[in-house]
Amino acid sequence: MSESILRTEGLTKAFGGLIAVNNVNFTHATGKLHAVIGPNGAGKTTFFNVVSGFFAATSGRVIFQGRDIVGLKPHQISQLGIARTLQVKSVFGGLTVHDNVWIAAQSRTKFLHPFRPATSYRETARRVDQVLDEVGMRDHARELAGNLSYGDVALLEIAIALATDPKLVLLDEPVSGMSPTETERTVAIIKDLARRVNVILIEHDMEVVFGAADVITVMTQGMILCEGSPAEIAKDPRVQEAYLGAPEDEDEAHA
Amino acid sequence: MPRRLAPLQILGLACFVLLLAVPYALPLLGAKFWVNIVAEIMIWSLFAASVNLLFGYTGLLSFGQALYFGFGAYGVALGVDILGLSFWPAVLFGVFVAGACAAITGIFAARLTWHYFAIITVVFSLIFFFVAVGWKSVTGGDDGRPFTVPPVLKVGGVEFTLLDPTFQYYFIMTVVGACFYLMHVILKSPLGYTFIAVRENASRLGLIGYSPYLIRYISFVIAGIFAGVAGVLFALFARYVSAQYLFWTVSGEGVIWALIGGSGTLFGPVLGATFLIVVREELSIYWEHYLFAVGVIVILFVAFAPGGLMGLLTRALDWLAKKPAERTAPEIAKPAPRAKGPGGGP
Repeated sequence: MSESILRTEGLTKAFGGLIAVNNVNFTHATGKLHAVIGPNGAGKTTFFNVVSGFFAATSGRVIFQGRDIVGLKPHQISQLGIARTLQVKSVFGGLTVHDNVWIAAQSRTKFLHPFRPATSYRETARRVDQVLDEVGMRDHARELAGNLSYGDVALLEIAIALATDPKLVLLDEPVSGMSPTETERTVAIIKDLARRVNVILIEHDMEVVFGAADVITVMTQGMILCEGSPAEIAKDPRVQEAYLGAPEDEDEAHA
Repeated sequence: MPRRLAPLQILGLACFVLLLAVPYALPLLGAKFWVNIVAEIMIWSLFAASVNLLFGYTGLLSFGQALYFGFGAYGVALGVDILGLSFWPAVLFGVFVAGACAAITGIFAARLTWHYFAIITVVFSLIFFFVAVGWKSVTGGDDGRPFTVPPVLKVGGVEFTLLDPTFQYYFIMTVVGACFYLMHVILKSPLGYTFIAVRENASRLGLIGYSPYLIRYISFVIAGIFAGVAGVLFALFARYVSAQYLFWTVSGEGVIWALIGGSGTLFGPVLGATFLIVVREELSIYWEHYLFAVGVIVILFVAFAPGGLMGLLTRALDWLAKKPAERTAPEIAKPAPRAKGPGGGP
């Protein structure tokens, strides 16, 4: 197997006494749609936050394309080729859908020209249309992002991530709050995306995870519990325990 | 095919023509005194626009723009008076020291946002205010320091100087107009887009590969340079500089002009500065405590018309453009959308 695009070694993030991510050795299954699941508070989003540079790791390493990226700022990590969406959807609310994607697409040019009209960048404009087509949002191009429905904001966030031409996309609960139709559409987009770029997906919707993912990693209490194909994970008693609680735990609770 | 102009653009063009006519029209109306007031309004409009570049576009509320205004003013005055520079080198020197001051203070200020940013900008301007007040031999302190403005240029035997009020008026109008044009170009460029993006969502901007700090810093320095140009013009216009122009109340006036005019719009600060300076000129004759009225105006605008004068104007024009049957009462209290896209509104 070729070198994985992303792996972590002993990655730990502590907030005071709380260890949110505890000695995680994660290896992205290259070329696969890799899902990370786990109960609330398992440390999934914190794991993303450390990888994308929002938080500095307490210890351990994050190796992206053979390079330790711990300590880099989010914008530097983005420039290396990691894009991410946020659990609480985050776009430029006061800008149009088109301009949201435009800024993301333009971020790959190293120089921000202060005098050339933004509308004169043909290549960027072409890329924006292409990305909006991919997520099926061309019709919304002139709308203010702040006026979009929640599902469309989530899709726009994916479009923004795509526009930066990433090598790895981290999606944090992309279908939460979506209607069944929107979910179906988004899952199709994510599956299609996973054929071209590496995708790591955090998701609570088990139907989506087991339907789309090639590999699933289960986290609990900041640690990796197990990893495997959807079929393996579905059968694993430890996973059921993590989600539903062990029988003896229940007894203790009643005692 | 000529492009059809929007009503607001027609209005803007009309204002431009009126401004061109001021030095000839106002004396005919027996209001020669107002030529200089209009010139002064243009200078303060540029100052308010620099506050607006930070607040309305980049989302940073600065209470310290007077610092760069003051540096520009002192730069040109001391450049002439102490360094013995002629007109243009002194002007460039003034703009340069203002920009340099913004470049140094910006290293610290651009790391912060919101109230922390507001506080650090006040602190910087207060430090230099007290330095200027104390260093009387050079700055003239509170009393100020008058200086003689050298001629702008000599062509053959003809000398153009700012002592000629008509020439001075057009000189100020040209410089202010050029600055507004430059600001327009910057705001429509990729750089300008990122100013608005950092205001809208700095962490998202970081996630797509821009350094929010760097964007804020660039915006801060550019705003400082524009404030510096306003300061240079003001010193030349007044033939005098004083430590008072570094005081934070001057910064506060810039903020109020930008707010009342409509922050996040290019020409909003012009409307705000015009409105409040006219109020000052007219009201202060009759009423010593006219600032009380200004306070009430500010409260009313912030509470009921956050889009400022420009917001009200846009809404009024939209309403007039509709057919009478479609008209409903304009919803004054409803906030206007902040920006229609990068570059904002008009």
